[in-house]
Amino acid sequence: MKVTVKSWTAVATWRWVANDDNCGICRMAFDGCCPDCKIPGDDCPLVWGQCSHCFHIHCIMKWLNSQQVHQQCPMCRQEWKFKE
Amino acid sequence: MIKLFSLKQQKRDGETVQHPGTRQSAAQLRIQKDINELNLPKTCQVDFPDQDDLLTFKLIISPDEGFYRGGRFSFSFKVGQGYPHEPPKVKCETLVYHPNIDLEGNVCLNILREDWKPVLTVNSIVYGLQYLFLEPNPEDPLNKEAAEVLQSNRRLFEQNVQKSMRGGYIGAIYFDRCLK
Repeated sequence: MKVTVKSWTAVATWRWVANDDNCGICRMAFDGCCPDCKIPGDDCPLVWGQCSHCFHIHCIMKWLNSQQVHQQCPMCRQEWKFKE
Repeated sequence: MIKLFSLKQQKRDGETVQHPGTRQSAAQLRIQKDINELNLPKTCQVDFPDQDDLLTFKLIISPDEGFYRGGRFSFSFKVGQGYPHEPPKVKCETLVYHPNIDLEGNVCLNILREDWKPVLTVNSIVYGLQYLFLEPNPEDPLNKEAAEVLQSNRRLFEQNVQKSMRGGYIGAIYFDRCLK
C-alpha cells in the first residue's frame, strides 16, 4: 500500500514557566492575559523582578507608573528592578 | 408548551443580564475573584444591596473580643474603576468612639492609603478593619480625644466605649446604640 500525505495539521501547546499560576495584580492566569488584552502570548508577556516575583508586564507597568516616589514590588515591597 | 416557551424566554432574559454587551471592566473581573475567594472570619459578613453591582457593598463587623465586643459596625465599600491599582473607598457608617475612626466615618488604616498595593484583596481590608477593633492604635489618631483617653487611662477608655455602644454621650457627642 502506498500512502500519500496530502495535508497535515500540526498542533502545539505553550505555557509560561512561572513560579505561580496567577498574576498577583489582576489575578488572571499567567497562561491567559491581563484584563486589558485579548490574546495571551507574546503580546501580553510576563516579567520578573530581581526579587523573583512575576507579573503581566501591563499590570506591573501600570502599578510602577502610578508610584511617584519609590518603585516597589507589590508583593515584597523591595525596590523593583527588572531581572536581566 | 406554554411553560416551555416561558422558560426559554426566562433563559434569554437571564443571558442578557449576564452579557450586557460590553466586556466586564478590569476592576469588575478582579473584584469578582476577590469576592469568590472571600474567606470571612465568623465576626464579619458582607451584604450586596444590588446583586449585579459587585463594586458597592457593605461589611458588618461584630467583634467577639476586645473593647468593642458585642458591638455591630457597618462599613461601606466603594470599589472604583482604578481597582486594584487604587484601594477601595471605605467608610464607617456607624458612629463609633474609636481613636482611628473619626466622627464622619473616615478610617485610618495604612493599607487603605499609603500602604495599599494591588496584590492586596478585599479580604486583607476585612482583616485590617477587624484588627482595628481588637487593637485600637492611639498613635496617629483620627479621633484625638479618644486616643488621649486610651493612652492615659485604659480603664476610662473601656468605660467610654461601653457607654457609647449602649447609646449615650461622650463629651458633647451622642452615640447611637450599636450593641447586637
